[in-house]
Amino acid sequence: MPTLLLYLLILPLATAVLVAALGPARGDIIRRVSLISTLGSLALAAILAIDFASQGREDRAGPPGFAPSMVTRWDLLPMQGSPGEEGAAIQFYIGVDGLNIWLVVLTALLMVPCVLVSWTAIEERTHEFYAWLLALQTGMTGVFLAFDIVLFYVFFELTLVPLFFLIGIWGGPQRQYAARKFFIYTLAASLITLLGVLGVILVLFQERVTDKVTFSIPQLVRLVQDHSQKLPEDVQTARKRLADTLDEMAKAPPVGGVDSAADRRLRAASKDVDEAESKLAFWRKVQLWVFAALMCGFAVKVPLAPLHTWLPLAHVEAPTAGSVLLAGVLLKIGVYGFLRLCVPLAPDASLTFGAPLISVLAVLGIIYGSFCALAQDDIKKLVAYSSVAHLGFCMLGLFALNEAGLSGSLLQMINHGLSTGALFLLVGMLYERYHTRKMADYGGMASRLHLLGAAMVFITMTSVGLPGLNGFVGETLVLFGMYDFQGNEVNGRLLASLACFGVLLGAWYMLTMVRGVFFGEVKEPHHHGHGPRGDLNLREIFALAPIALVCVALGVYPKAFLDVARPDLQALAHMAGAARQRALVTVSDKSLVEKTPARADEKTAANRIGD
Amino acid sequence: LTIVDSSLFTALTGYIPSLAPEAILGVVACVLFLGGTWRPSRRLWGLVALLGLAGAGFTLWASSDWAPTMESLRDQIARQEERLATLVMPHERAAEETALEKNKLTLHTMTYASPIQHTRLAILIKVLALVGGVILVLFSWNDMPANQASDYHGCLLIMLAGVCLIGASNEMITLFLALEMVSIPTYIMLYLPRQDSAVQEAAMKYFLISVFSSALTLFGFSYLYGVAGTTNLPAMAEALAIGRATAPLPGVVLVALVMVVAGLGFRITAVPFHFYAPDVYQGTTTGMAALLAFIPKVAGFMALIRLLGFVPPILVPGVDSAPLASLAFTGQSMGEQAPVLLWIMAAVTMTLGNLLGLLQDNIKRMLAYSSVAHAGYMLIGLAVAPKLASGPGAPVGGVEAVLFYLMAYGAMTIGAFGVLNYLSTPERPVETIDELAGLGRSRPGLALVMVLFLFSLIGMPLTAGFAGKLMLFFGAMGAPFQEDSPALLEQARLYRILALIAVLNAAIGAWFYLRIAVYMYLREPIQTEWPARSTPGFLAIALCALVTLGAGVYPGPLVRAIQNAVPHVTDALPTTHRAAQHQVDGPAVARGD
Repeated sequence: MPTLLLYLLILPLATAVLVAALGPARGDIIRRVSLISTLGSLALAAILAIDFASQGREDRAGPPGFAPSMVTRWDLLPMQGSPGEEGAAIQFYIGVDGLNIWLVVLTALLMVPCVLVSWTAIEERTHEFYAWLLALQTGMTGVFLAFDIVLFYVFFELTLVPLFFLIGIWGGPQRQYAARKFFIYTLAASLITLLGVLGVILVLFQERVTDKVTFSIPQLVRLVQDHSQKLPEDVQTARKRLADTLDEMAKAPPVGGVDSAADRRLRAASKDVDEAESKLAFWRKVQLWVFAALMCGFAVKVPLAPLHTWLPLAHVEAPTAGSVLLAGVLLKIGVYGFLRLCVPLAPDASLTFGAPLISVLAVLGIIYGSFCALAQDDIKKLVAYSSVAHLGFCMLGLFALNEAGLSGSLLQMINHGLSTGALFLLVGMLYERYHTRKMADYGGMASRLHLLGAAMVFITMTSVGLPGLNGFVGETLVLFGMYDFQGNEVNGRLLASLACFGVLLGAWYMLTMVRGVFFGEVKEPHHHGHGPRGDLNLREIFALAPIALVCVALGVYPKAFLDVARPDLQALAHMAGAARQRALVTVSDKSLVEKTPARADEKTAANRIGD
Repeated sequence: LTIVDSSLFTALTGYIPSLAPEAILGVVACVLFLGGTWRPSRRLWGLVALLGLAGAGFTLWASSDWAPTMESLRDQIARQEERLATLVMPHERAAEETALEKNKLTLHTMTYASPIQHTRLAILIKVLALVGGVILVLFSWNDMPANQASDYHGCLLIMLAGVCLIGASNEMITLFLALEMVSIPTYIMLYLPRQDSAVQEAAMKYFLISVFSSALTLFGFSYLYGVAGTTNLPAMAEALAIGRATAPLPGVVLVALVMVVAGLGFRITAVPFHFYAPDVYQGTTTGMAALLAFIPKVAGFMALIRLLGFVPPILVPGVDSAPLASLAFTGQSMGEQAPVLLWIMAAVTMTLGNLLGLLQDNIKRMLAYSSVAHAGYMLIGLAVAPKLASGPGAPVGGVEAVLFYLMAYGAMTIGAFGVLNYLSTPERPVETIDELAGLGRSRPGLALVMVLFLFSLIGMPLTAGFAGKLMLFFGAMGAPFQEDSPALLEQARLYRILALIAVLNAAIGAWFYLRIAVYMYLREPIQTEWPARSTPGFLAIALCALVTLGAGVYPGPLVRAIQNAVPHVTDALPTTHRAAQHQVDGPAVARGD
């Protein structure tokens, strides 16, 4: 079955090359070929999901960490040792596990409507458009499938190139600026991420946690876990030994001068404590930097509140397919990066530094994004800002760092992909008919476009979290998770309440938009002559129907979805739990034992000499 | 005594066969100079130049038979020692011992007396020079007036021979002569293509600054000779290291260091010796600009690597270990200031190059600043190299990263110039970015290749530029944290800051490279008529694209070849030291408890 993953990567890329080679004249063939390719990918992804879900869970049991299945590994750039040797090489290493399986399916699912919705909207340079679109699919799928850290980065950056062209060539009036801003923003941030990645790899190597440089994510995660676990234990052991020695000396006061055996033992013990403590402090500092560097790239991609400015611009300027993929999949790469790399590779920093910072930023994003959405007149911009708010929920759940929060975050990623993807599709369809996105230009459209109106109402409901639909489950889990935050880094209850307010705001702006555009007094803008007329046609229905179906399915029976991901989410929650334990233990220990026993010891020694 | 005589003789003449490729290049260059007077023709003399390069390449390939590398001699010695250990019969032993002694003495004398080191690294540089030469000959096939084509190609071959010699030189004098072999033909070549005032100004500017920089380098050499008492490079590095171990080096060494780095900084267009580059690149033809962006850079970096002692010589294993190798051959033979100087130069060079690149509308000027910026990236490798050599550093050494980046840089920059050249005619050269507008529609294939080069210059994955940057960053991030010494800890931190400066620069640079892509793809075409296709120009671009993509997608073989070629300082350490080093390098298990 590993070849299935390869097919998933190769099929879109091969089609992209084929489509590009077909040339600009054969628009119809190009569209059909692209549609067949995306349907093929969807079928492959479905087979993959069924296959993966039916695998026994005991296959994936083991120590907490990532254990991908259906693995393919080839050496790309050996760093140490002879070729063929296991380990020190940048590898082509792909696989699936509970964290990425649904994102891969989501990518394949959203590609089909993207092709369908561009059917008549893109008339110019068709072959290039579909080639870039399909190349983007390979890039996105690759990011999710990659289990080598450099490969992950490679795919991460390769998603930029197609989207740069998609926005830049087929976008709105400000497309060139939007494309370049999007590209530079993400590139600059992701380069810093690359430094963080290299940093963690090399520190592990220099600290001799491993004798070989490794780029495999599962192995790195394991090493980080072991090392983070070992250092506090070392500190505790050393402290215990020191305490024992002190006890002994208290019981039987040593005879002799400074150089007596007991004295030497005391010195050695306190030196051990110092060494272990400085190692732990160093490791924590490293983690902090690693976290900060990794956060840079992913926070821009998510985007977290102060770094989001590229997003509305890129969304508004992008063609519909670009917006759908940008919101539906590409933003998820940011959250996925936190899930896959940031938390496992810097667990302690994620807890002590990440959780307070990011959960506050996330709530800020929820509230700020909602208010911005409320203020928009452009429907697309409204949906773009709603993305900022929804992604805030994803991040909030993630940094609750417990199972409920993580599951909610993962579910919310998929939900947002589906419902915001569908919203962008609908906005695109509306725009194609009337060439305006201003809310003020519309009114009472539901009486003109029955199906489109119905679809919009339905998708709005999924987006605002109506019980029984997918959004509800995700948001609830996220709020549960945050409310239940263990530890005192974050005031979970306050943040959860604020986020609840955000849910309310979400309903407010979405429903305002629906009321303004689809209900009330009829106000139909002038039709511009080209593009489809009237209600949804069959092609558009086919584009929307699968998304709507999945929304209902996820809302009614989310267990099937979550069960598949659970073991890996539990592993993540376990890592975070261990970090929490470590943080607690060392803090309480510090208050128990004097920080500078060595100096105290010297003082007593000096006193003794004075006597 | 006869052994000494014969080995001295071998050492002083043994390198001559290894110079066959350079000799062929020189002879073919003479043929070109003379032949040009007989018959002006582009195609004929271009073919002759290509044949010359092919001949040199073939000689290089076949030379393993008659000109063994010093590494192979060293390996032979190791094998002989092994065999000696198994022999018991006295007469066999005696014969073997004599042979062994002779070989050892030969290797020793070659290292410390021969003006040329025929090592794997030298071969690597020769291959790089020859492949680059083929691309450049193809590139400027139609660039020249027919009656000057032969002179142009002849000069190019001489330059390439100079680059080959720099890679192999073991003496300051040889090194200087080789550097001049690269510079002097450039002055002629700059005058050849056109006689208008812009070209003359560019040539004059280049000539004056180049002569000045040569003088600076020579000035530095004279001080070095005065302090070390030898012109042999390994001996000089060791002498300085021994001096440094006992007492602080005299100030003149620092002066020499600054002079040498300044003189060579001109060739690699490092700030503040970069300012001629934009004017000269803009003033001259595209072919010459590509050549100037590549060949002097290879020459300058190789000369720096040789002079500052970044690579150890090939030594007799065990016995002949260089004294204080970890001081002498980690790029700080002229004092600990060298890495600091290179650090500063790297940071300033890349930042200024990228910032000034933002302001350019002329593509050749933009690429000139890009070449400045990339020199800055490569300097990171040299600045970091000392740290990586002395500690259990990154799996990729600094020198290896620089060599890889040189190759990647050569392919992508020559390629980008090649696309411009392909679109230009001598009457109407493509100069400004506006002229490329809409290229994505009028010439989609060419635009796609140009985008490949641009993305490689940015450092996007799957291109050689990414692999190169990755290796450089790896070095900078890999400087070990040694917590016991605050100064070293600070250094490790500084290297990480350098890496951060580099990535921010890469993002700044992306802005102007992307601008070209934006013009090509997102603007409406202004110009739809392009000159007829030319096969040699196409071949040159295709070769560059192949290297850019190949080294990006699957860099393994190239990296391995480079790692194989670069000698490591651990090879030059005394045996006991090496054992200790090995223990330090060992796995964590032993040290954990």
